[in-house]
Amino acid sequence: MFVRIYQKKKILFLGVGSLILLLGLFGRLMYLMIVKSDYYAQMAQELHERERDIKAARGRILDRNGIVLADNKTVCTISVIYSQMEDREAVIDMLCKELDLTEEYVRKRVEKYSSRERIKSNVDKEIGDRIRAYDMPGVKVDEDYKRYYPYSMLASKVLGFTGSDNQGIIGLEVMYEDYLSGTPGKILTVTDAKGIELQREGERREEPIAGQDLTISLDLNIQNYAMQLASQAYETKEAENVMILVMNPQNGEIYACVNWPEFDLNNPYELTDVWSTKLTGGNTQDNLNKMWRNGSINDTYEPGSTFKIITAAAGLEEGVVTPEDTFSCPGFIMVEDRRIRCHKTTGHGAETFVQGTQNSCNPVFITVGMRLGVEKYYSYFEQFGLKNKTGIDLPGESRTIVHRMENMGPVELATMSFGQSFQITPIQLLTTVSSIINGGNRVTPHLALKSEGAEGVTVFEYPVTEGIVSEETSATMRDILESVVSEGGGKNGRVEGYLVGGKTATSQTLPRGNGKYIASFIGFAPADDPEVIALAIITHPKGVYYGGQIAAPIVRQLFENILPYLEEKEYN
Amino acid sequence: MQNNIRQFRPKQTTSQEQPSKKEIFYFDYTFLLVLILLVGFGVIMVYSASYYEAMQKFGDASYYLNKHLFACAVGFVGVFFAYKIPYQIYRKLGFLPLLACIAVILMIIPFGFEANGARRWIRLGPISFQAAEPVKLGMIIFLANFVFRYRKRINQFKIIAIMIGLTLPIFLMVYKITDNLSSAIIIFAICVAMIFVATKNYKWWITLGTVGVAGVAGIVWYIVQSAASDGGFRSERILAWLDLEKYASGKGYQTLQAMYAIGSGGIWGKGLCQSIQKLNFLPEAQNDMIFSIICEELGLFGGIAVILLFMILIWRMVIIATHAVDMHGAMIVVGVIAHIAVQVILNIAVVTNTIPNTGISLPFISYGGTSICFLMFEMGVVMNVARGIKITNY
Repeated sequence: MFVRIYQKKKILFLGVGSLILLLGLFGRLMYLMIVKSDYYAQMAQELHERERDIKAARGRILDRNGIVLADNKTVCTISVIYSQMEDREAVIDMLCKELDLTEEYVRKRVEKYSSRERIKSNVDKEIGDRIRAYDMPGVKVDEDYKRYYPYSMLASKVLGFTGSDNQGIIGLEVMYEDYLSGTPGKILTVTDAKGIELQREGERREEPIAGQDLTISLDLNIQNYAMQLASQAYETKEAENVMILVMNPQNGEIYACVNWPEFDLNNPYELTDVWSTKLTGGNTQDNLNKMWRNGSINDTYEPGSTFKIITAAAGLEEGVVTPEDTFSCPGFIMVEDRRIRCHKTTGHGAETFVQGTQNSCNPVFITVGMRLGVEKYYSYFEQFGLKNKTGIDLPGESRTIVHRMENMGPVELATMSFGQSFQITPIQLLTTVSSIINGGNRVTPHLALKSEGAEGVTVFEYPVTEGIVSEETSATMRDILESVVSEGGGKNGRVEGYLVGGKTATSQTLPRGNGKYIASFIGFAPADDPEVIALAIITHPKGVYYGGQIAAPIVRQLFENILPYLEEKEYN
Repeated sequence: MQNNIRQFRPKQTTSQEQPSKKEIFYFDYTFLLVLILLVGFGVIMVYSASYYEAMQKFGDASYYLNKHLFACAVGFVGVFFAYKIPYQIYRKLGFLPLLACIAVILMIIPFGFEANGARRWIRLGPISFQAAEPVKLGMIIFLANFVFRYRKRINQFKIIAIMIGLTLPIFLMVYKITDNLSSAIIIFAICVAMIFVATKNYKWWITLGTVGVAGVAGIVWYIVQSAASDGGFRSERILAWLDLEKYASGKGYQTLQAMYAIGSGGIWGKGLCQSIQKLNFLPEAQNDMIFSIICEELGLFGGIAVILLFMILIWRMVIIATHAVDMHGAMIVVGVIAHIAVQVILNIAVVTNTIPNTGISLPFISYGGTSICFLMFEMGVVMNVARGIKITNY
């Protein structure tokens, strides 16, 4: 009848056993809620929080005088929150009317069951303010930044533009993305499992950090003027394109980089009028890529006679030629069994090296090239930095296309001596010539000067290779090139009151005999102490195609305007 | 029993200095207080855990609360009646409870309906209940009756064999017919606990226990091994237990959400009603997973307080069982101890991912009408057993 002793013991055993198990769970709970608490709390928070980015204002791009070339303007993003809308029909009507969208498009988004649905971004602030004024529940107007380029076409291929997320797409915008983009902020809101925001939890904001302002070496006035000259030449010569590069030969700062036709940075995905007549057919993206291409950096060409500067510098440096050496030009020269003609088929007759340069006489430079020989010529080519990229701070720079040394015979050497049978970029030519005339310092062409933000200032520095030619050779070259302008084929580059040095080039594009030419002129001033160097290239001009006739006047006009201006500015 | 004296006094008032031989009937106030605390706390937590979902589903924040309050009210009526009915009456039922259990389980077949993907509910006119809940009570009464009737021969092999032979089919039926593993485990544990207490032998039990633990470990090992070879389709529940985050979108989801809730509660909790996990993240927040919401809102202290209340409740029942006036009463209380203890331990173990996930509610606190009504009735029975205890002053 009564509970037996052993049973009482077993009841105690059972009870104590249960309590011990519960104590074990006690311990487990303490482990989870003290030791692992942070881990699970963190994971839970990530689960609960939805984040919305606050875009950081992108850093501006300023020219060297602080004029804003790339700016931000406030635009709005319109979105709807399903659960907060009261009168969906009214919302649809209003959005269709204000945003000029089809009802079908708006209805689909308004009636979609989601936590937040974007209707349209990049809406003008004015329209955004109007929509806000309706004060409809569930309609959100978020202010946002959009890139804005006040000078639209100016230096379009240099500056580049940004995409829908304000990320750089081409040009400096992509090159300096890390400096310009800034750090986006966040609005963190707590939501339930269906993504509905919980009012009681409020929101947590992480403020965005604005991007840094980038100051570049371009000068708005020089760029603008060069652009006008390029567009004029483009029109009058019905050229395929016109490039003008203006640089400080002493340090590589680029004052202007024009690749006409340019495009409208504020509408980069629309072919401009000039382009749409040029680019007919083909796929849209390919056409856009062509339009965006910066030819002076991304494309190579045969430089032609302007390259004789390099041959001359190598010959003088090596001592195989002096300015006073005399040559005789019968209008051609035999290289092995090939007869290579001078552009003046009747021949220049007897001439000194300086005169040969003034005449741009091919046999003279072929002779100098031959005196150097393949190995020496090639080693100077490398010494001048022509084999490497210039290192300009723009994306997509092209490499030099040149024979390998072991494949170079006398004919290849001869043609290279006057600038044919290889290809370099315009910026490469400009940089190499700068290095030869500035005393022998190979500079790095560049645009970005400094980046300035809340965290401080970053001043960009670029490598310089000294002594690629001697001071003496450099001075001789300046003299010779000055004489080319004052007495020789570059006389159209003369600017009253200034000593200008330079060299013309007229090269036939491949295939030979198609009647298409590239006319160019490279000039610098003042010739005795160069402060500015400019290269003008006209591709496929109609009518007169000689560099000395059509390219040299461009540089002259440019210099006439900018030399007094630069004296006043004292950029050095 | 005798005289029907209606003079109850708390134990504390019985002073040893009183030399009288007067008998005082025992009433366990601590027990009742803990019970009221648990049920009251349950009401608050059910409301806190369910209002958001109730608002979304039914447009009425107190939808679950009202149903729960009704069950609690019925439960307290049950406590009162069970307290009034002398438990000795149950022994007159003999083996009837066993037959009733079988009948209830079989009723599933014509009257059962499906809820949450399992056929566990019986509907009789306006009343619907979960079949397994009355079976738990029935088995407690039946085994207590059996042990009491054969108390003189209880340690004979034949009697033990009959006992096992009669109980074994019940939890197999619960498992197979009502497809309810959790309830089968609870009923199994209740039976094992009661037979363990009734019989004298330790050795056999220790051997069985060891074999059982080894068997479970072996099965887990086998599943993990075979998962490595066949990609783990066989028993995801076990695999999810071992690596919750890997199965976060499948079988591990609910437990992982519970862990998020428990972990993010920390020591002090987020405050009553401040849980975020209950906002559709954690399924069954007011039900099987309510303990994790308690931890999230009230922190480690809330969780520990609940465990402490259950510890006190169990300990009071151990005292009542060991002091019961006869073996029948003691066995009933042992069954109830096993019932409560197993459910509490398994529930908290599941919620804290100490064992693989299986649906077990937390006694008195979880939302669920059937469970709370039967549990409260059992509490009444325990109080009636306690009432028989005579405190004799020495």
